[in-house]
Amino acid sequence: MSVLNATSPEPRSLRASALAANQHLAAHPSLPKLPASSVHFDLPPALEASEPPEARGAGRDDVRLLVSAGTEAPVHARFTDVADFLGPEDLLVVNTSATMAAALDATEPSGRPLEVHLSTRLPSGLWLVEVREPDERATRPDFSDHTDVTLGLRGGATVRILARYRGSHRLWLAVFDTGALTLDELLARFGRPIRYGHVPRDWPLSAYQTVFGTIPGSAEMPSASRPFTPEVVARLAAKGIERAPIVLHTGVSSLEGSERPYPEWFEVPAHTAGRINQVRAAGGRVVAIGTTVVRAVESSWRPDGLAHARSGWTDLVVTPDRGVNLIDGLLSGWHEPEASHLLMLEAIAGSAALSLAYDAAVAHKYLWHEFGDTHLILPAPRG
Amino acid sequence: MASAIITGGSEGLGRELAASLSQLGWQVIIDARHAEGLDRAAVDLGDHVLGVVGDVTDASHRRALVEAAVARGPLELVVNNASTLGPLPMPTLDAYGLDDWRQVFEVNVVAPLALTQLALPALEANRGTVVNITSDAGVEGYEGWGGYGSSKAALEQLSRVLAAEHPDLSVFWVDPGDMRTQMHQDAFPGEDISDRSPAADSVPGLLALILGEYPSGRYQARCVAEVTS
Repeated sequence: MSVLNATSPEPRSLRASALAANQHLAAHPSLPKLPASSVHFDLPPALEASEPPEARGAGRDDVRLLVSAGTEAPVHARFTDVADFLGPEDLLVVNTSATMAAALDATEPSGRPLEVHLSTRLPSGLWLVEVREPDERATRPDFSDHTDVTLGLRGGATVRILARYRGSHRLWLAVFDTGALTLDELLARFGRPIRYGHVPRDWPLSAYQTVFGTIPGSAEMPSASRPFTPEVVARLAAKGIERAPIVLHTGVSSLEGSERPYPEWFEVPAHTAGRINQVRAAGGRVVAIGTTVVRAVESSWRPDGLAHARSGWTDLVVTPDRGVNLIDGLLSGWHEPEASHLLMLEAIAGSAALSLAYDAAVAHKYLWHEFGDTHLILPAPRG
Repeated sequence: MASAIITGGSEGLGRELAASLSQLGWQVIIDARHAEGLDRAAVDLGDHVLGVVGDVTDASHRRALVEAAVARGPLELVVNNASTLGPLPMPTLDAYGLDDWRQVFEVNVVAPLALTQLALPALEANRGTVVNITSDAGVEGYEGWGGYGSSKAALEQLSRVLAAEHPDLSVFWVDPGDMRTQMHQDAFPGEDISDRSPAADSVPGLLALILGEYPSGRYQARCVAEVTS
C-alpha cells in the first residue's frame, strides 16, 4: 500500500469544522494557521488501538517499537528492548504530570446532556474547556454557541462558560463553582478520563496513569510514557541510562486539522536543565519521552544555547522552520495525519526519515493512539 | 509571543494583571513614576516583565513604552490603567482648582488617548486590544468625585468612539469594581476599606476579556467572571 502523498479521506463534518476554525483564526492573525506537514499517509481504522494491551492479557510494555535513526532503514523491535538502543551517555527526559479524570457530565439549562472536558488551568482561576455532546461511541464536538451559559454538573456544582477562547472554534473560557468541594474533589468523585471514539468503552483512571506521573494536571495522558514498566525502567537503570523530570500538563488533544495548539503549563527544574546542558556538552543525546517533553524542554531554551530552569505557560509550537535546539531524539506514539505533532516530529527527524518511518509503520500494521505502539526517533549515527 | 503595555503596573490591579499575562508567556511592559516600586515589581514578576520608569503625561515616556513593547513582540494589548484621583482629599466642584482639574484630565484622558494613538499602527496590524480602566464614578454622581468621575466619563466616551472607528480592534472600557488598593484608601482617608475585594478579584474578568472573543463595549470585571473556588 502506498501511503506517501495519498489524499486523506476527510469526513464531511471534519471539513466543515476545519473551515469554521479557519474563519476564527482569520480574525486573529497573531494565531496563524499552522503549515501542513510534508508527511502524508492514510490511517486505516484497523490500525487504531481500541484498548490497552492489558485487555488482551499482555503487559503495558508488550507493544512494538520502531526505531528510526536518520534515513537508515527503520528497525522493528519490542518496547521491552528499548534500552538496547540507548546508552549511559544519553539522558531520557520524562514528563511527571499525572492524568486527571477530566471529563464531567454536564447539563444545559434546556436539559440537554453534554460533556465538559477540562483542558487547561489558566491563571486567576480561569479554565479552558471543551464542550462535547455524547454520541453512540463516546462524544463528538458540539459547535453550538455556549457564550455566557451556565451548565449544571453533578454534586450541585456548575461551570459558567464565558466566551470562546480567541482563535479557537472549540475551546471556551470558563469558571467553575464547585460549592463545598474543591475542583480536585469534584473530579475525583464524578470525573472520568477523557476518551474518544476509537476506544469504545471506559477504562479506569489507572489505565491512563504512567509510571512517571506523580503530579496531577493533565487533561489527557502523556501517553509516550505509558509502556514504561518497572522492568523496563530497571533495564534502563542497569545500563546506566539516566532520567530527568519535567512537568507539562497536557490539554485536550482533540484539535482537528491544522488547528494551532494552545498554551500548556510546564516546569523545567534547575537540575534537569543542568543535566541537559551537561549531557549535550559531553556529546550524549537528550531523548524526550513524548512530544510534551519536547515542548517543555524547548521552551526552556534561551539564545545562549542552554536550557534554563523555567515554569509557566508555553505557547511554543515546534515546526521544521523553528527547529529544535536541545532535543536530539524522541520516543513517541504514532500520530494522526494532519496532527500538529507531525510538524514537531519532522523538526526532529527530518521529513525523509519521518516518511520512511510512517510508511513502515502502516505497512507493518503498527497500532496508533494512546494504547498503541511506539516510535523511537534517534539522530543518524555519526559516520 | 505577543507583547502588552500596562500603565501603572507596579501595584494593585496593573501588577496583578501583569503577573497573569506574563505567566501566560506575554511580554509585558509596565510603568510607574517611581523607580523603586517599579523595579521591585519587575523583579518579582520575572523576566517576561520590563519596567519603564516615567509619567504617562510625558510624550517621550509614552514613545519609550511603545518602542519597548514593539521590540519584544507583536504589540497586541494596551491597558490604560494608570490614573489619578487629583487633589486629596478630593474637593467638591465649587472649590475645584482649574489647574488641578486640567491635570486630572491630562493623566486620565489625554495620556490614554495619546498612548493609544502611538500604539494604533501596531494594534491594527495585530488586531489587538485596548483596555481602558474606568470606574462607576464615571457613571454615577458621587459627591467629591467630580474631577476623577468626569475624567472617567470622558475616557468611557472616548473608548466608545474608538470602538466605532476601529471595528477590527477589541476595545473594552472596564469598571474593575471597588478594590482594596492604595488608590481606594486615598479616596477614603482614615476609613477602613478592608471590606473591599482585593485587586486580584478583578483580574479573572479582565483576563477573560483579553483572552476571549468578546464584542467591544463596557464591562464590569467581576460580572464577566467571578472566581468563587
